[in-house]
Amino acid sequence: MSQAQPCIALTLGDPAGIGPELVAKLLEQRDVVGKANIVVVGDRWVWEEGQRVAGIHHEIPEISSLAEARDQTGPVLLPTSTIKPEDVEYARINGLCGTSVLEVLKLCMDGASAGQVDAICFAPLNKLSMKQGGLKHEDELHFFVDHLKVETPVCEFNTLGNLWTSRISSHIPLAEAASHVTSERILSATQLIHDALIAAGIEQPRIGVAALNPHAGEGGTCGREEIDIIAPAIDACRDAGYAAQGPFPADTIFRRARDGEFDGVVTMYHDQGQIALKLMGFERGVTVQGGLPIPITTPAHGTAFDIAGKGRANVEAMRHAFDIACRMGRHHASR
Amino acid sequence: MPGQTTASLPRVAITTGEPAGIGPELTLMLAMQAATLPAQVVAIGDPDLLSSRARSLALDIDIVPCRPGDDLPAPQAGRLSVWPVSLRAPSLAGTLDPANGAYVLDTLDLAIAACRHGQASAMVTAPLHKGAIIDGGHPGFTGHTEYLRDACGVDEVVMMLATDQALHGVAHGDTSCPLRVALATTHLPLRDVADALTAERLERILRVLDGDLKRHFGIVSPRILVCGLNPHAGEGGHLGREEIEVIEPTLNRLRTEGLDLTGPLPADTLFTPRHLATADAVLAMYHDQGLPVLKYAGFGRGANITLGLPLVRTSVDHGTALDLAGKGTADPGSLRVAVSLAADMARHGQ
Repeated sequence: MSQAQPCIALTLGDPAGIGPELVAKLLEQRDVVGKANIVVVGDRWVWEEGQRVAGIHHEIPEISSLAEARDQTGPVLLPTSTIKPEDVEYARINGLCGTSVLEVLKLCMDGASAGQVDAICFAPLNKLSMKQGGLKHEDELHFFVDHLKVETPVCEFNTLGNLWTSRISSHIPLAEAASHVTSERILSATQLIHDALIAAGIEQPRIGVAALNPHAGEGGTCGREEIDIIAPAIDACRDAGYAAQGPFPADTIFRRARDGEFDGVVTMYHDQGQIALKLMGFERGVTVQGGLPIPITTPAHGTAFDIAGKGRANVEAMRHAFDIACRMGRHHASR
Repeated sequence: MPGQTTASLPRVAITTGEPAGIGPELTLMLAMQAATLPAQVVAIGDPDLLSSRARSLALDIDIVPCRPGDDLPAPQAGRLSVWPVSLRAPSLAGTLDPANGAYVLDTLDLAIAACRHGQASAMVTAPLHKGAIIDGGHPGFTGHTEYLRDACGVDEVVMMLATDQALHGVAHGDTSCPLRVALATTHLPLRDVADALTAERLERILRVLDGDLKRHFGIVSPRILVCGLNPHAGEGGHLGREEIEVIEPTLNRLRTEGLDLTGPLPADTLFTPRHLATADAVLAMYHDQGLPVLKYAGFGRGANITLGLPLVRTSVDHGTALDLAGKGTADPGSLRVAVSLAADMARHGQ
């Protein structure tokens, strides 16, 4: 049965943000419950608070270990004890919230590593709170890498509808972005997104590779990375059997992608892809943590402190993140 | 234009640009729409070139040479007034001849002089070809914007793009110009951007932007959204410190003088409808942070504006398109937006 119905660990995210509300709203959608064995992982009071904010009440049974998750017929709660209500205030950067998030994610990863769940879908977290709460890594992806002891290349994918993007550098200062443009990184990002698209059911993924500089360097007069590094790397990708094209200037690549020319886009730095994707559909974007031994997804948006606790959060991206987790989880379980 | 007499229309001079490119034919196509433009348009270029390009495209247009001091006839579809500048060599559509580099610069000089002497209220530039001008004996030429800056003797100009529609076609307030994005740095390799972004530069750019939004757009207290440089606007210093060390102190200093500045905001959240709806303009820190969004997000047609000059100058947002030249298939949409913007700006600046 596990092949037909994946087991998904769903976390509540940062208690000071919109995460708990989103999970409550997600479980309210009737067809969600039939798509997976869902185990909500988090403190009971945070879950109750999320439901209160969402104006929803679900009676869901508790389990005492992720090992029990797969046997359930409806959604269940694995209660944790990571944070006290009096220590949380909405919309505040808070190291205690960050610690809570990290503990829950570790628990989920351990369960997935043990084969107890097939994928993890986590609600938005706040990086600053996590750093104050003990995160030593540049972002959550590298925290996952460390905890799961991954030694092969990884990449954060952002997806919107049928378009997936990967990037060769992520949460680094812009001043360092150009030095991160290397042939190895381009090849690896192309390979990772190719493999992920295959796993997601695209038989022959078409991949567009972005340029780094304005107007793709204008023939070398506005930066030479396109000539010296990116174009040769794309040739190497093609030699390796990937249907890669480029480098294309930032102002045309997403127009072409939007028009259906590419299944995946490889970008050179964080904001190159993020601005485009969020502008094309901020509410629906999903981040997939690629290259890990287990599928992990999350909405592309953050904790939305400006509307936290107000019941106004839009559940659409969380829903898409859950759907992708189900697809990848099913694929993962069938391997 | 209902309720508007011909005499009250601003006079906008269009430099027709590289003669082998699409500039001349776009100007001719616009002349076919002359009766519905919010301006009295006059072209600057070679009248014979325009006549022959019109003939080959089967456009029935009366080319009327006149002098900058002359009154212009009432706008009429199919009639184009021209301030003559002679080609240096015959021009074939699609084939560059560096001999005409000097011709292109002559058209610019005439437009600048006419604006400065009050014979034109604004200038709109059709695309030129940088390479042809450089090869034509002007090795120091780097582009329209720098040429105008030097000709006008100013230190800092700001490139701003504007569109004729708001995001997803949603109008907000002034329908002439729903999204405006100015750039703190322009055509720089990405690796040089962070170093170029000094507090002094940012302050100069913001002063020009704020001043010209007041002067040329009639906005009493412009609301400007400012992008961060780094992912997530540096996320409290974890992803870069320019926000803390350069951008925030500059914004704070200018706020004490009354400028209405919001930011630095993460660029990927700033460029969403919720934030854009509150702004008169956005300041992006680098070229690809600000301009791509105008191209793929459904803001309609765009045009460039050069701020900080003692005259009004707008331009198309595309190049010479040599491969399309002479075919009559190029789209005059951006030129029309550029003319409308120039006319609006000229009216406010009166």
